[in-house]
Amino acid sequence: MARQEPQLHSRDDRPVGYGLPTVLAVGLHLVVVVLSVVTLPQREPEHQTSSIVQATLVSTETTTDQAQRAEEARSRAAARQAEEAEQQAQAEREAEQAAAEAAQREAEEQAAREAEARAREEARQAAEAEAQRRAEEAERQTELREQQEAERQRQQEEAAEAERQRQLEAQRRAEEEAERQHQAEEQARREREAEEQRRAEEEAERQRQAEEQARREREAEEQRRAEEEAERQRQAEEQARREREAEEQRRAEEEAERQRQAEEQARREREAEERRRAEEEAERQRRAEEEARRAAEAASQGLDRAIEGESDAVANARQAQEAANSFINLVRRAVEQAWVIPPGAGGGLAATVQVQLGPSGELFGASVTQSSGDSAFDRSAIQAVEAAAPFGELRQLPAAAQRDFRQFNLRFRPGDVR
Amino acid sequence: MNDSMSIPHLIMSASTVVQLVMLILTIGSILSWVVIFQRTFVMRRARRTHQAFEERFWSGVDLNELYRDTPAEQETQGAEHVFRAGFREFNRLLTKTRSPEAILDGVQRSMRVAWSREEDRLTLHLVFLATVASASPYIGLFGTVWGIMGSFQSLSMAQQATLATVAPWIAEALIATAMGLFAAIPAVIFYNRLSAESGRLLGKYEDFAEEFHSILHRNLQGRGDADAA
Repeated sequence: MARQEPQLHSRDDRPVGYGLPTVLAVGLHLVVVVLSVVTLPQREPEHQTSSIVQATLVSTETTTDQAQRAEEARSRAAARQAEEAEQQAQAEREAEQAAAEAAQREAEEQAAREAEARAREEARQAAEAEAQRRAEEAERQTELREQQEAERQRQQEEAAEAERQRQLEAQRRAEEEAERQHQAEEQARREREAEEQRRAEEEAERQRQAEEQARREREAEEQRRAEEEAERQRQAEEQARREREAEEQRRAEEEAERQRQAEEQARREREAEERRRAEEEAERQRRAEEEARRAAEAASQGLDRAIEGESDAVANARQAQEAANSFINLVRRAVEQAWVIPPGAGGGLAATVQVQLGPSGELFGASVTQSSGDSAFDRSAIQAVEAAAPFGELRQLPAAAQRDFRQFNLRFRPGDVR
Repeated sequence: MNDSMSIPHLIMSASTVVQLVMLILTIGSILSWVVIFQRTFVMRRARRTHQAFEERFWSGVDLNELYRDTPAEQETQGAEHVFRAGFREFNRLLTKTRSPEAILDGVQRSMRVAWSREEDRLTLHLVFLATVASASPYIGLFGTVWGIMGSFQSLSMAQQATLATVAPWIAEALIATAMGLFAAIPAVIFYNRLSAESGRLLGKYEDFAEEFHSILHRNLQGRGDADAA
């Protein structure tokens, strides 16, 4: 019992204070805060800053040089003019195209007609040449035939000569024979004369007559046979010649026919070729003309554009100077009002945002052209531009200045935020 | 994204009223946690003390000895306090009156006073916890409404209202509600727990008081019988 007392009293002695609970509670909150801070990559000093964003400490300025803007404007104007000219040219071209088409059709027809005529002419020439050639051919053939004929005649004459010689030979041989026989007879007659003159003479006479007869007959026979032979040979030759001639004629005709057909074919092909070439030629010519016309148009347009761009540039430079103050101030004020500077943005950060506006001042696009390295800062700059848009004041500017301010750069650079 | 939308950044970039609300809520949360820890310790100690006292009281020790062993009245707590108040009153009245009813009445009254003090001691600051639990969501909501009001006011100045324009404002406004809930939720939970615990302890004290009263009543009856005899 006495043992329990001190324990009991020691515990009851002092009431529960507030020191430990306070420490615990504050510690708990600190842990919560630290957890919420540490999990996010956040720098500690920022929490002590008490500056609320009042987007007034902004120095926004357009830093594009005038020349560049003028250049851009000129290029834009030129592009627009080119577009308009393009449209106009389109219409013109369409009209011209219709005309050109008609002309082309006409030209084509003409070309076709010409080609046709040319082809016809050529065909005619070809036909003439053909005819001439055929005539020549025929002449040649007749010549050839005549030559052949002469040759044949010559051969025939030769054959006749040979025949004659042969006949002469035979005559001579027969005469020799007869001489020989005559000598023999004479001897026999002389022998027989020695014996029986009369009988022998008669017999000799008879024999002589018979022989004469026989000789005559033989001669006649031989003559006839030779004549028959010659006749046959002549006939055969004549026949052969005729056949050859007919054959030759037929062949020549066939040849001529074939040649004629081939030539006809070639002529037709040539004609088609000619016509096609003529058409192609016409087409090429037409195209070349078209291109030349277009090139001339483009050249004239380019010149116009250049002149216009120059005058525009002069006008822009003057008017932009006048309009710059009012419009830039308006835009700058609007963007400044809309800009929420991120707390981490120090004085050293600077970002350049390129702003593209529509014709009535609405925002087409805003992009960071020169980053500050801090993504939040860049984003805040773009958000400021987006918040400040649309810049309806653009419509109150003169047209040249409007083009000038369709695209401009804004430079975001916070002043001393703290 | 993390840079501009982190919670500390949003808190820092909020408007003054919202920041004030956040400050109130932070303080309320810290205080409620102080109360929670403190009450938790108090309850634990009271429970242990009560257990030890009950063990000792029912161990058959002489009540006079027990009374003498216990320290001064101001330092006692819980059932011991009730016991001391009742026993002192009993001893005082015993010498002055012979009427058991009067003695018992006095004892009961003094014990009720002691119990009431104990109740007051146990439930101390629990009301604050209840207040934080019920009020901080509304305070946070006020901060949110105020912040969104400010965001819409500034939105009216901007020509183009995109989600990116509105989002930071609404996020920083909603942080106030989040902080209110952050303060309220533990307060509600611990208020319920602590009040239940204190109620249970007070019930135990009441039980003890009744038992002690019955013991004294038994003693008086015995003495009255002895006197009568």
